[in-house]
Formats: sequence, C-alpha cells, structure tokens
Amino acid sequence: MSARHVMILASAGSGKTYALTNRFVALLARGARPERIVALTFTRKAAGEFFDEILRKLARAAREPEFAAQLAADIEQPRLGPADFLRMLRGVVEAMHRLPLGTLDGFFARIARAFPLELGLTGEFEILQEHASRLERRRVLQRMFARAPDGLDTAQREFIEAFKRATFGAEEKRLAARLDAFLDEHQEKFLAAPAAELWGEASRIWPRGNAWLAPRRRKLADAVADLQAALARRALPPKQQARWDLFFAALPEWSPGAPLPRALEYILENALAVWSDVGRGCAEMTVERKRIALTPDECADLATIVREIVAAEFTRRLETTRGIHAVLRGYETVYHDAVRRGGKLTFGDVQRLLQPDVSGESLTRAAADEGEGRLFIDFRLDAQFDHWLLDEFQDTSFGQWSVLRNLIDEAVQNPAGERSFFCVGDVKQAIFTWREGDPRLFREIFEHYNRMAPGAIAEKHLVQSWRSGPAIIEMVNAIFGRGDALAQLFPGAASEAWNREWRAHESARAQLASHAAWLHAADEPERFALTVRLLHEIAPLERGLECAVLTQTNATATALADYLRREGGIPAIAESDLRVGTDNPLGAALLALAQAAAHPGDTLAQEHWQMTQLRAVLAAEGVATPEALTQRLLAQVHADGFERAMEFWLRRIEPTLAPADAFSRERARQFVAAAALFDATGSRDVAEFVAFMERHTVRDAETAGVVRVMTIHKSKGLGFDVVVLPDLEGQRLDQRRGGLAIQRTPERAVEWVLDLPPKLFHAQDETLSEHVRAAEAEACYEALSLLYVGLTRAKRAMYAISKPAGTSESRNYPKLLTATLGAHEQEIRIGQLACAGGWSAGDPAWMTRVKPPAPAAKSPEETAPIASAEQWRVPRRAARRPSSGKAGVIDAAQAFALEGGSAADFGTEVHALFAAVEWGGAETVGRFAREWSARGDAAAQALACLRAAELAEVWAGGAGREVWRERGFEIVLDGAWVTGVFDRVVIERDAAGRARRAAVFDFKTDRVATEEEIAAAVERHAAQLNSYRRVAAVLAGVAVAAVTCELIFTRGPHRRTVPPG
Amino acid sequence: MEFSPANLRRHFIPWDAPLLPQAAAWLAGDWDGARPLDLQATWVVVPTRQSGRRLREALAEFAAARGQAVFPPRVLTADALLATGSAAPDVATRLESLLAWAEVLREIDLAAVPEVFPVAPPRRDLAWAWRLAENFFRLQTQLTEGGLGFGEVVAHAGAAFPETERWHQLAQLEAAVVEKLAARGRRESHAARRAWAREPVLPPEIRRVVLLASPDPLPLALAALARWAERVPVEVVVFAPESEADHFDAWGRPLDAAWAQRVLALPEFERRVQLCADPTAEAERAARVVQGYGAAPDGLVALGVADADALPLLESSLTRTGVASYNPEGRPWRTDALHTLLVALAALRREPTFDAVAALARCPDFLAALVARGGATASAARWLQALDELRAEHLPADLRAAREHASAEAPRELPLGLELIAELRAVLEREAFPAGAATALGILFRGRQFDLSRPDDARAAEAAEAWRGAMRECLAAGERFGGLRAHEWWDIALRSFGESRRTEDKPAGALELQGWLELLWEDAPHLVVTGVNDGFVPDAVIGDAFLPEALRERLGLKTNAARFARDAYVFQAIAACRARHGRLDVLFAKNSALGEPLRPSRLLLRCADAELPARVAFLFRPVEAAPTNRAWTRAWKLAPRRAPPPARVAVTGLRTWLACPFRFYLAQVLRMEPVDADKSELDARDFGTLCHAALEAMAREPALRDCTEEKTLREFLLARFEAAARARFGAELTLPLVVQLESARQRLAKAAAVQARERAAGWTIERAEWKFALPIGGLEVRGKIDRLDRHEPSGRRRVLDYKTSDTAIPPHKAHVRPFRPGDERLPEWMQVTHDGRRHVWADLQLPLYLRALDAENLAAGPSVDAGYFNLPKAVGETAVAVWSELTPELRAAADACADGAAAAIRAGEFWPPAELAPERDAFAALFQHGAADSVAWEVAR
Ligand code: SF4
Repeated sequence: MSARHVMILASAGSGKTYALTNRFVALLARGARPERIVALTFTRKAAGEFFDEILRKLARAAREPEFAAQLAADIEQPRLGPADFLRMLRGVVEAMHRLPLGTLDGFFARIARAFPLELGLTGEFEILQEHASRLERRRVLQRMFARAPDGLDTAQREFIEAFKRATFGAEEKRLAARLDAFLDEHQEKFLAAPAAELWGEASRIWPRGNAWLAPRRRKLADAVADLQAALARRALPPKQQARWDLFFAALPEWSPGAPLPRALEYILENALAVWSDVGRGCAEMTVERKRIALTPDECADLATIVREIVAAEFTRRLETTRGIHAVLRGYETVYHDAVRRGGKLTFGDVQRLLQPDVSGESLTRAAADEGEGRLFIDFRLDAQFDHWLLDEFQDTSFGQWSVLRNLIDEAVQNPAGERSFFCVGDVKQAIFTWREGDPRLFREIFEHYNRMAPGAIAEKHLVQSWRSGPAIIEMVNAIFGRGDALAQLFPGAASEAWNREWRAHESARAQLASHAAWLHAADEPERFALTVRLLHEIAPLERGLECAVLTQTNATATALADYLRREGGIPAIAESDLRVGTDNPLGAALLALAQAAAHPGDTLAQEHWQMTQLRAVLAAEGVATPEALTQRLLAQVHADGFERAMEFWLRRIEPTLAPADAFSRERARQFVAAAALFDATGSRDVAEFVAFMERHTVRDAETAGVVRVMTIHKSKGLGFDVVVLPDLEGQRLDQRRGGLAIQRTPERAVEWVLDLPPKLFHAQDETLSEHVRAAEAEACYEALSLLYVGLTRAKRAMYAISKPAGTSESRNYPKLLTATLGAHEQEIRIGQLACAGGWSAGDPAWMTRVKPPAPAAKSPEETAPIASAEQWRVPRRAARRPSSGKAGVIDAAQAFALEGGSAADFGTEVHALFAAVEWGGAETVGRFAREWSARGDAAAQALACLRAAELAEVWAGGAGREVWRERGFEIVLDGAWVTGVFDRVVIERDAAGRARRAAVFDFKTDRVATEEEIAAAVERHAAQLNSYRRVAAVLAGVAVAAVTCELIFTRGPHRRTVPPG
Repeated sequence: MEFSPANLRRHFIPWDAPLLPQAAAWLAGDWDGARPLDLQATWVVVPTRQSGRRLREALAEFAAARGQAVFPPRVLTADALLATGSAAPDVATRLESLLAWAEVLREIDLAAVPEVFPVAPPRRDLAWAWRLAENFFRLQTQLTEGGLGFGEVVAHAGAAFPETERWHQLAQLEAAVVEKLAARGRRESHAARRAWAREPVLPPEIRRVVLLASPDPLPLALAALARWAERVPVEVVVFAPESEADHFDAWGRPLDAAWAQRVLALPEFERRVQLCADPTAEAERAARVVQGYGAAPDGLVALGVADADALPLLESSLTRTGVASYNPEGRPWRTDALHTLLVALAALRREPTFDAVAALARCPDFLAALVARGGATASAARWLQALDELRAEHLPADLRAAREHASAEAPRELPLGLELIAELRAVLEREAFPAGAATALGILFRGRQFDLSRPDDARAAEAAEAWRGAMRECLAAGERFGGLRAHEWWDIALRSFGESRRTEDKPAGALELQGWLELLWEDAPHLVVTGVNDGFVPDAVIGDAFLPEALRERLGLKTNAARFARDAYVFQAIAACRARHGRLDVLFAKNSALGEPLRPSRLLLRCADAELPARVAFLFRPVEAAPTNRAWTRAWKLAPRRAPPPARVAVTGLRTWLACPFRFYLAQVLRMEPVDADKSELDARDFGTLCHAALEAMAREPALRDCTEEKTLREFLLARFEAAARARFGAELTLPLVVQLESARQRLAKAAAVQARERAAGWTIERAEWKFALPIGGLEVRGKIDRLDRHEPSGRRRVLDYKTSDTAIPPHKAHVRPFRPGDERLPEWMQVTHDGRRHVWADLQLPLYLRALDAENLAAGPSVDAGYFNLPKAVGETAVAVWSELTPELRAAADACADGAAAAIRAGEFWPPAELAPERDAFAALFQHGAADSVAWEVAR
C-alpha cells in the first residue's frame, strides 16, 4: 500500500479480489470518499461480488477485533480498529447509490447519458440488448431490400455493385443469408475502421510498392503460348508433360479469388520454390520429382505467368476488400439512420462515441482543461473521480483504455498526490483477445507512466495460489515453467511474451491433499468414457465437492453433459446458453402453433402441433380447424401480446404434463418470460416472434449438486474442487483466427484491412507474411492462456485427458503436454482406478481425505400468511358506477368517424348546459336563449327542453323545493361501493324543512323516436334509475317509495316515469 | 415557501393504525350521522389518483357504518389541481407545445446556441426534432414543479454555476417556443401553470382545502395552497404521531436531515426481510403468500411493487396461482390490437410494399372485414395461405405487383383481400391525415358493431375513442401548425395514442398491484412489498444531461436526499401501522431479471450502528443456489398421423427415403412443407427452376442443335431466362432478385460457353426434358431427364442433369456415400462395395435415368454414360461431369437398391429415422435430443 499507483499481476487464484478489496478499504482508511473511487470490471456479476466482498470485509472487521487487526496490518494502517471500520462501513452503505462501481460498459453509458447533445445524440438513448439487435438487423435488411415505387434507388444500385465486388467469382444464389454471414463476420471490423481508404488500398498496405503489382511488360497470352511451345519441344516424360498440360488447361478457367485448382497450385508452388532462380533466368524446377532446367526464355515466360497469377490474386483481394467495405457501408448507412438515430445504441456504439476521434479530440480529455470548452463531467455526473481501480486489466481493449486514459492521466499526474490508479490482472489469462482484449496494454501503460515519472507506478506479482493444492501447482509449473520447451515448440513472439511474464507458482495450501494428472485416451469416445469412470471413482457430489468438466466449445459441453447423464447416470448440466424456445417439445410445438396460425399454408407447422397434446387442448377450446386457429390465435396475440397468448395455452397444457416433469414447467415459464421480452419490442409479427424465440438463449442459473460442464472461457474466475479437461485435442495452437486481416499500428490505429489471399500467395509478400506471423503468435499466446485458465480452476484435483502426441507434428495441446510433461506412458492411479497416462503428481487417494460436508445451514423460513388475519380484514367492495352504463351496441364504423362528434360528447355538453339551470320560467328561458345562441345543436336541444310544456315540472321551482344539479355521491349499497352523479334531483320539504318527497330526473340524449324505442330505452335504463332511487332516498332522508324517477329524453323531448322495480 | 400563513395548520394522524379509516373520520370531523356526510365545500389534495379513489371508498364506508351516504369532497392530485386550475381555452396542449418546439429546433440557427448543440446533428428532420422536443418539454415540466422556467435557472443557480451560458441559450430556445405559440394565439402551458399558481382561483363555494398524507407534493402546488391559505383554512394532514412533529415541515414533508440518519424500525427484521434470487423468485414468493389466504385474499393481504418493471412478472405469477390481479396503471394503448392495425395502415400509406400488405393482412380486424365482405364461406386461413403462396411464387415488391400476379386459380379471398387493401391504400393516399385514417377505419369496420356488454368489444370501443381523440387533437393542432407531411402526422398521432393508457375499473376481488408511493394508503393487515432494492426504493438520479443533483439542489427541485427522506418515512409508516395488527414483509432481489446485481434498499440499512455489521452480513449474503431437479425431460413424444404409403414417387423421393425414411414419410406422405414467412428472395429450388427453364428451351430449340457459337447460345439462354423471370416476377424487381438474377445470368453465360465447347467436341442434344414413369415393384417412379446427348463421332450417348448447387458435385459422390458406423443396420441392398470399400446409396437418380432409357430400348449400342452439367457459383468450374466410376456392377447394385427401396416404400417402412445434424435437417423443429426418441411411431393415432 506504500505506492500510490500500483499494477498487480495476479496469477490464477492468487487473491485478485482480496487485493482489490484491500485497496478499496485502504483508500477509505486514508480518507477517500467512497463515491470518488471508481472501480470497474467486465461483468456485472464480478462487480456485484466485488461490492458484496467489500461490505462483508468491513462488516467483519467492525465486529471482530482480530480480523480488524489483520486487515489494518494488511493495508498498512495498523492503528485502525473495529470502530474505524464501522465508520467506513457506514460511509460506504450511505453512498451506495452513488458509487461508481460497476462495469466499464455501464460507466461509459453513464457518461454518454450526461452528454447526449455533445455526442451528437438526440436526447436519451436506450441500450440495445443482443436479442433486440437481431430484430433490428432483420428490419434493416428488409428496409434495404424494399423497392421504391420508381425502381431501385442509387444507394441500392451501389449496394448491388458492391455486393458483386465483395463476392467476385462466386455467383451467390442467396443474398440474405450471405449478407447475414457477412455482417456476423465483418461488422465489428467495419465499425472499428469505417474509413474507406483503409480497406483494400494497395498504397497503404505497401507504401513502398509491391513488386508483384508492378506493370508487366509481356502479355500473358504470349508468355503462355511461348512456354507451351518451348515445353512441347522438350519432349518431357509423359507424367511431367501431363502436369504442364493440366496447368495450361486450368489457367484460363481460373478466376482470381476462387480456390486455386490443384493443377495450378502444383506448378505455382514449384515455380515459387525456385523463384529467385527464375528471376535470374536459370532455374531448375521440380515437376513430378524430376528437375527441369529452364532456359532463360522459359524462365522469363514462366515468370510472366506466375507474376500474372499472383498479381491477379492480389488485385482481386484488394477489390474484394473494397467491395466488402462498400457492402458494410451500405448496410451501416441504413442501420445508422433507422436504429442509432432512433436512440438505440449497443454498448459498443456507446464506447465508440466516447473514443477519441481521429484528430485525438476526446470528450474525456476536455475534462482535463480548466479553461474554455471544458466539459463538466464532474458537474453533470455529480461526481469527482479521484481513485481508479481496474479489474481484469488484461481484458481491457485499447478502445476502452482510450476513453479512460485522459481521466486516469489526471489521477496519475495529480501533483497533490491525492489521487491514484490501481489495476490488477493476469496477462496469462488473456483469453478474450478475440473480443478486443489487449494484454499488451499492461506493460505499455506501466512503461508509459514510468517514463514520464520514474517509479510512478509500482509493479507487484502475486504468485501464491490460495485456490489450488500443491499437485495442481506442480503440474502448472511443469507445463508453463518449461520456457525452453515452449520456445522450441513455438519460436518467436508467443513464447517470448509468455516466458517474460512467467513466474513460478506456489501453493498457499501446502496441507491440502491434491492430485493432478495427464491421462491418455485415444479418441473422443474414449475421452468421454474415461470422464465417466473418473467421476464414478471420485464421486464428487457424494463427497460434497464442486466439480466441473471444461471443454473448448459449447457444442462439446452440451454433448458431453448429455453423455454423462445418459451413459454415466451423473447429474450433469451443460452451462451453455440454452435455447429455451426450441430445445424441448413444448416450446417447439407452441412455435409451430403460432406459425401455423399466421401462415396456415405451413403444413410442417400445422402437422407438427397436431402431433402433440396441443391437439386435444385446442380442441377442448373449440379450435379444431386451421381457420379457427388463425382467427383465435391472431386475435389473442394482437389484443394482448405473445406473452399473454402463450401463457393462456400453457396454462391449459400444464395439466397434461407428467406431475414430476419440473423441467417442462420450468421451460414453460422461460418461454413466457422470453415472450414478454419480445413483446417489449412492440412487435406482433409472428414470423419475428418465431425467429426471436429460435435465437433466444437463457443462461442456466447456477445450480448446486450437479457436475457443471462448461467451456473454459466460461469457467474464468471460478474455482472447483475437481476439474476434468477432456477436450484438449484440436488444431495447432498458432493458427491465425480466420477472417479479414487487420493491420494496426503500435498505437492500435487500423493501418489497413485486407481479405487475405491463401498462404501460397501471401507467403510471397513480406508485409503480409509479417502480419500473419504476428497474428499466429497472438493466437498461440491465447491458446496457452486458455490451457492455463483451464488447469488453474482446480482446487484439489485436476485431470487433463488427451491422446499422447505420438509422432504427430501438429503443434496442438497434446504436443504441448508431451513436450513439457514427457512422453513416457505410465500407469496412473486415481483412487481404485488405474489408467494410462503421461504424468501425475500428488496424492492418488486424495478423495478419501475429504471431510464429509457439514449439513447445509437452514435458510430462513419463507413468509407465511398471518394466522389471525381474518379478524383484521378490511372491507374491499366491488365498485359500481350505475351511470357509466357499459351496455348497448354501437356502430363500430361510426366510432372512428371524425365529424359529427360522438354521442358521448354531445351528451356531455347537454348535461353541462342543464347543470347551469336552477329553475325554469320565462325569464330564465329568455336569458339562456341569449347566452346559448351560438352554441350549436346541443344548446338548441337543451333550450327546446327548457321550453317544452311536457317538461315544465322538471324545472318548476317554488317554496320548499330544493334542487341538486350534477351532484356526486358515494354510498355503500347492497355490499357494493357505488359512485355516481345525479343529473337533477328536486326535493320537496315541508314547512319544518323535513324532506317529504324527491324526484330524480335523468337526462338521456339517446336517439329514440318511436314509442317502441322509448319503451326499450326505459327498460334499458330502469336498473340504473332504481338504484338512483334508493340512493336519493338515503341522501334526501325520505322513504324509497317517496322518490319518483323520471327519464327525460332530450330529443323530442319525452318524459317517462320509471316504475319502481 | 417556508412560511406559515395564519390559516395553514398541521394535523397528525397517528401511524399505530392504518391511515384510511382515520383520514375519513378526520374529514368527517364532528359529523353526527343524522344527515348525509356533506363534504362538497372541501377540496382534498392527495398524492396519487389511486389514493384519491381509496379515500372516496373509505368515506363511503365510513358513512355506511351509520347508514348514511356521502356528498364527496373534490379529491384531486397536486398535478390535477394545477392542470385543471390553469386550464383555459387558449392554453397550448402538449401536442401544440411539442410542435412549437419542433419548429423552433428545425428553424433556429444552431450556431447561435453552441452550448446547447456543441456538435451539429446529422440531419434535422422531424424525428430528431420530436425526440428533442419531448426532452425539452420534460425538462420544462421538471423545472415547473419548482416554479421555474428556463430563463430563471441562471438567476437561481447562484454563483460559480458552470453552465451559465448553456442555460442562457436554453432560455432563448424556450422564449422562441413561447413566442411561436403566442403568434398562434396560444399560451405556453408551463408558463400558464406558473402564472396560475401565483394567482390561483378558488371557487367561492370551497371553504377549506386539505393536503392529505402527501409526503411529496409538487412545490408549485404548495405555492397555490399558500395563496389560498390567506383566505380559507388549508389543513395539512400528516400520517404520523404528533410526537414526530419535528420530523416534518409545515407542508407535512419529511425533513431531509431528520430522516437521513434515523433508525427505521421493523420488528422481527430477519424474518420479515427476505432475499430472493431475482424478480421472478420474488414474484413467485409473493404469489405463494397470497395463495395462502385462500379464495378471498383481497382485504387480508396487499401487494406493493417497488420495481415497476417487475409488475408483469407478478401479474403472471398471480395468474398462475389462480388469483386475479389489477394493475391500476393500466396498459398503454401501444399494446392494443388497434395500434398494430394503425401502424400497418400507416406503413401501407407510406409505401404499399408487400411487407406492408402482409402485415395488414394479419390484423384480426382486417380479417374480420375480409370475412364480412366475402360472406359466410370466406376464410381468413385461405386468404393468408394464398398470400403466402403468392409471395413464395412471385416475390412481389409491392401491392401493385401482388395484384398483377394474383392468378385466376387462386382462392377468391386473394383478389378480394388485395382489392380491399388497394381500396384502403387509395383512401389513405387521397385523403389528408386524419381524414384518410378515419375513412379507412370506417371501411374496415363497416357493418361491425361493438356490443359494450362484451369485454373485448367494450375495449375496442374505448380504443376507438382514444384514437379518435388523438386524431382530433392532431386535426386541431394542424390548423395552427402547418407544414408537416402526412407521415409525420401519422407518427405523431400514433405516438400520442400509443402512450396513452387504458385504465379499467378494478374487478371485484382482484388484488391491486400498487407502486411504492401508494402504500402509505394501504390498509390491509398483511402487506408484501417486492423489489425493495436500492435504485427502486429510494430511487436516485445520478448524473443528468441538464439537471444534475447539484443544480437540483440549487434550484430547490426534488433531490436525492428528499427522495430518501420521503421513502424512509413511507417505510416507517407502513411498518408502524402494522406493528400491532398485521405484518409488513419486504422482499428484495439479488439480481435483476437481466442478471444485473442489485443491492438491498438503503432503507434496510438504517439501523443502529452497533447492528450494522450484522445487518450487512445478513442483507449481503449470497443467495442459496437452488438445488436442481431440472434434468432435461421430454414433455411428450410426437404422434404423427398415419396415412397409407404412396403409389408413386418422384426420383428425388427415393433420395429422400434413402436419407431418412421417416422424413420421407413426413415430406412425401404427410406433405409437410414449411412456409418461409418473410421470403424475400429466390430459394435454391426457385433458382434451379429458373436456370433449368432457359437450359431446356435451348435444348429444345432445333436451330441451336449444332450451334458452336458461345455468343449466340448465350444470347438465347439469357433471352429465355429473361422471359421466364419476367413472367414470374414482372419487370420490377426487388434488390435481392436483381442480385440473384444477375448471378443466374453469369452462370448461364458460362454454361453457354461450355455448351459451345461440348458441341464443338461433337456432342449433340438428342432429346430433352423427357418425362418417364418406371414401374418398380408396386411403385411408380417418375422423373424427367434434362437431356440425352449423343457423341457424333463415336455414337456414344450420355444423360445429363443440370445442377445449380453452389459447388460442382461429382456424380459419384452424390450417389454413394461412405459407410459409417451404425450403417450395419441398413438393408444389404442399400450397401455397395466399390473400389474395395463399403458405401451406401444416397441417390439413384442417374442409374434410374439409365434404367428409363433401357426401358425404351434407347440404351442399345455403346454404353450410355451419365453425368451432371454443373453450374456452380464459382463459374470457372462450370462443366460437364461424367460419372466415370459408374460400372455395370455399380449400376446393377443401384437397380437392386431401387427395387429394395420401392418395395420398402410400398410396404410402409418409414422407421427408424436417421439422426441428422439440425442445420441439415428440414424437420429439425420436430426433434429434440434425437429424432427416434422424439416420436412415438408405434402409437398410431
Ligand atoms: S454455330 Fe454459328 S451459325 Fe451455327 S447456330 Fe451457332 S451462331 Fe448460328
């Protein structure tokens, strides 16, 4: 803790989290405010655990004096005691909502949200999750494909041209599929380097020119004719001649960019083998194991031909690369317009927005300048960042670093020394370079800051493993400590980098019984079978041990988990991403049902759902024909969305499932949850839904009491008592990752992009060869990291299973294990099991020394109902509104009509007018006639009612008469809570002021004319009026019999008494 | 506002019992029950609409206890108070304000406001302006809560305010908006609110105003109440014991400082506070509690949902346990069928693409209109099927193309439906918005009725009403704000409709799902609150583009500290009022639904310092991993329908059977075939068919029999291809078709070259497109030979089949595949030994062609070869590939295999299926964990 800025290289299991949390506590102890400590990591899970760990550590130190003393010593603040840690704990807890502690992505999004207009965004944005971004891609492609009424537009025509160039030599049958693959492959690369001049530009790749592309003096046809003739004159042996004939026959058929036919490749290889001699004009070329001494003329002809071929290939690759760029740009233009401008960004988009642009201008940089143009990050984010803690630093990408750099520069260069930088990581666990993780950063940053101020940053190595027992560490050292063997196997940058960073490991758990071995098995079936035997022998679950089987791919994980369950009877779960929509019969049938409803001609879907329980379930609901299905399901989906529609059917299917079938029920829940996610996109399109569900994946929750099968990548950061690695075969480790070649400057700026030609061609060019060598070294380094991660997951036992390398030359994992652990086969014992293997260390009977697991602590009981609740029950009544009158039939088309107004509006207006009338009489009528003169139909009708002789009594005032107009009431009636409004009630009081009678008048603007219609309307409204009668009786304080109820039909007008009922 | 006018009085309702009954009694005052409880002269301001409803119910209940009823007070929220108070005919609606904002943003010189727009936006279209307008409108609303306009921010922000210039410029923008509205005779609504609050009008009949249990009222409303307090009594009712008086201000708001540090009491904390894995687990646990209360839980238990996003989860969980729930927030109309229909109509109006047609075609209301038009026998399913077939066959770009291609044989629903769509399109195009929309809907709903007693019709009628409101609002605004295009009005109206919500009455007995702020008013003895995580309770704003916390503080707007104080108070109150007669259960999640880690609410950590370490250990413990019992289990096996075996098959059918007899059954007997719902380009079969058509025409053209000129052949092929493509797709092609047809042309051009070469080498086409039917056993095998060539110099013959697969296939490889483990179970006749190795027949096409030739005695003379004319995507590889490995022995074996397969098909042998990789299995959707295991073949249905 002495140095202000620290970089920690923490080997696997060496207490990375421990170091991080201690750092956090140390900063607190020195008075740092928790909201000023930025702590960033990669996964949300890691961030959550980090926070919990800090709190737990402080809480324990606040309670346990010994622990407090230990912690105080660890952070070199020996005077601190429990009370101090309690204070820190309180401080952290109170600032919880303000802590900048989380993921890099989240941190970047937070900055971007505070500066939308500065970043060219339109206000707020939402983060596009993976599932939604797939949907967006589909829509963007549809939009691109749509045809304008007057034909394809310029952009579309350009796109077609670009596509042709990008796929030259391959007359693709299907566009959409190809494009989809294109985007999967290249989109990220495009976004990293959108500038056209970086793509397939010879002058950038070969600034000093490329000899192959130099103009040629002779015509190819001439050279071919001459060479053909010259060779013919030689009377070559038939086999040799045949080679040449094939060559000349294939030459005109070949188009560059297409795979090289063997006939061409053969001659080309042999010519290039003696290329410098060919250039000098005297070459001995081998064909069919015999040499041909070529004359100077023949050499010249051959040289022309070879140059022509190579040049054509290079030219085509350049052209294709530019085409790929143009295709991606075409897509991106539409995507940007439709998606990003609509406020939907991926985390990658956010990061790119914040990255310094080409001119080096950066949002985060501006924060450093105090003067003009300064951006007030601290102001808008309500935060000042004094201390930086970065986790898993080897996985940080250069782009991420470039966003943070300026902020961290400020901290490192802070003259007052109140700010600090701390990062921790393990360059030996750099297995995410394919996701732009950049392990070189570690060293570069270290050197950068120390150059500026020597000793500014201290470096620490943690090599003691608190996770793995001695045997495992012995195996790790035996493999990775063999610098000589690594250098021999992988000469060059990969082994150099590895050996430079390597430190011998130690186990901090010397007493732990542990075992590690490399076991032999010839092929996959044997490796799987051996895994089962091992697990049966170890019986990890019975002993309460955590056990993981690690693979290289998800597919193997799934297959292996299946195998373990089926053949071994071992409860194993593949922790791959589960396709919950389609990996089970229930989900698949529901998708078929939806598809069949929207696309009744899909006989595959129709037959499919009818092969299942759905047939009976739907029949019971009256759905037995395609027609019924289409109408029913589409109506459900459009009315309520997929979640509710699917939930509806799943509820009916549920009883048909086997009672013990917890799995299908779980899937049903997951299916509905996924449907809800889809509904959130707003789409009601069944095809989109089906496509979404087919892709949708769920990560299985961590489960106890099973053997976990997962990829090594997923196991990063985890530890298990027992680890089996049965999937170490495969290709050579120094294999360049496929796809476009991207050359970057040491500053990681993209220099050029090229669709790399095959090896035969690129090997002829130093620039390309160098690129490939570097890419291979990078791949090789990552492959070493992957094995390191796999091996170091184990606590007590580690078993790697592979074939012995034998004589194979492929530089793969078996070869690596052979080169480091040795080639002698020996018998290795694991418990009672004996098997063949190449190496072992530790205690073969380790499992017998495992203490049986303590019974699990009882979890707090679930909340139960209150036993005596009934006595405190509060009333909850049905709510009724008699006047809301949800009854009757309206014309649907009329309900959408703009003009004429709705019946409801008209009624409201008439009611409002009546509410103004206290009593009638000629004078009143005259006044209202004037006031309402310009108020249209409603007023005319109201006025007519005021004047109508038939209604005189409604408006008649007089002594002892009281009127309620538009008066609201609340009442409990027949156990229901009734809310309503009287239109007009007239109460007659006697001289003493006691109410004697009441008349309820209810105005109706219904269109009624004939007597039958009026009678029907009275019938319809009778119930409402009779409840009004009872309410009025209560409110006016008279008997129900003393209340009369009348309906006033304002059209007419007509007045009808409602008989009591 | 920290002053106390004489008429402002605080009252305390103790929290040892629920608020509602006490509040009702307090409002009733000394009412004796002799007459109705008449509160007409009182205004009651409540925190939420829902609490207002509850209050009215409580008043009815209170009066009912004495056999009486209530003339209720006017109950409204602070927001409604300001809205109704300041309402006037000349106040601009939200829509008008947004239109004004949008206009200003599109017109203004952005260079004049560089602090607001430091970088120029890429394009200043309406979508851009609208999104910003909404942001600025929201900002206005936030500031107006505190009684401020943009122009007043700088003055209130105080010294050393870093964004002075920016706010000056924002004020310029707001001023421009106000001016723009004024020019149209409208008053800006926020300004109107602020103005009203300065001089609030109180109806004369109102004799007192009550601010009831509102811990967080809008400050602007308080300004109005303060003015009223000069005239009438304004009574502030606080739900807390009198002894807590020091913890509240004059308006009954919890004081930040008093609540920030206080200890919140929840008895039996470690039993009442429960950690769940995620919101789903919370929802399930809450649902189980409710279930424990039997048939009528409402009134015994109540649910609070602090995390609004988790509400649907709780709804689902309750539904699953059979408990009806009610979401007082309602659902936005965006989720309604009408919205989807309108979106489809808008898309159709904008561009009648075929996708727009297909989307509208599936709207239930469209289907209803179609069926209504077509009469009793009209079928929605037939219409959709015909539409899909039309798409598959002709890939029409738009409505016009679709109508042109609709064939006479298609079911009558197809022309009927397309005509209806065309009619709608014409109306939408002809008439402006909203008239066109209204007319189109009139057409669709013509003759239909909404029976309001049916829930779905009632809902449809409500939706219609809401949409009509949106249309009218646009119509009215359009009179003042011109210059927008029809699609822009559509967008605006759809947004406004989509965002408005449908609120229903609470069904009797349904359990209400209430937000955190409603809980103060809840009176059920048992209260279960889910989502008590930090960020939900209390919520906090960290960082903001305009109003970060520091500025909020300076401006007197709601701060995080105030939120904490409010929520701490609510927590204490809802716990306290259940301490004697009930219980509060608090659930919180370790992770969000998306897997983000969550933290417990800070409220839960408000304990005495001495308890804090234990509390932290308790709350931050890891959640126990669920023991699992979820091994993959098969819910059911498929029971396919049984149909008799076919009497005839195509040659390709044999290949299907050889690959997998069960899939043969599905494809050829049950005729299961998928529909590619959004087919936008040729599939492999279409592509082949089109190329074939041209190649066949060439073979049949006598004039070209002996042609060796590549150019002539090419031109012929391309012309024929063009004609075929045009006949099928018309002249107007979509982008993918352009690309694909071009690709086909390239392949054909190369084929012309190869054909010319072959002819020059002596091969003439003897016969083309030759159909045959071979009886094999009891099975008739049908096929069509693409061409039979004769080599003039030698007299040899060969049959050729055109192949347009992506890579050139050697015939041998296509017909026999290597023997694999597991193939032992295959019948002898499917296996063949060739070159000393065991193989299995995969296809019999070419041998069957030869057999057909034999049948016609055409194979006399020198032996006949067989092969492919490959047209792969690498056109350099276009060539005739003759099956050189085809020996007489091999042919005999192929014949034996054909006999065996034919007999098996006739005998109905369709089992067992092959196990194929899903990506190569057209029926993959049917099978999980093995095809054979997925099907109950023996159980006939
Ligand atoms: S070979 Fe020449 S002349 Fe004969 S058909 Fe072809 S183009 Fe005409």
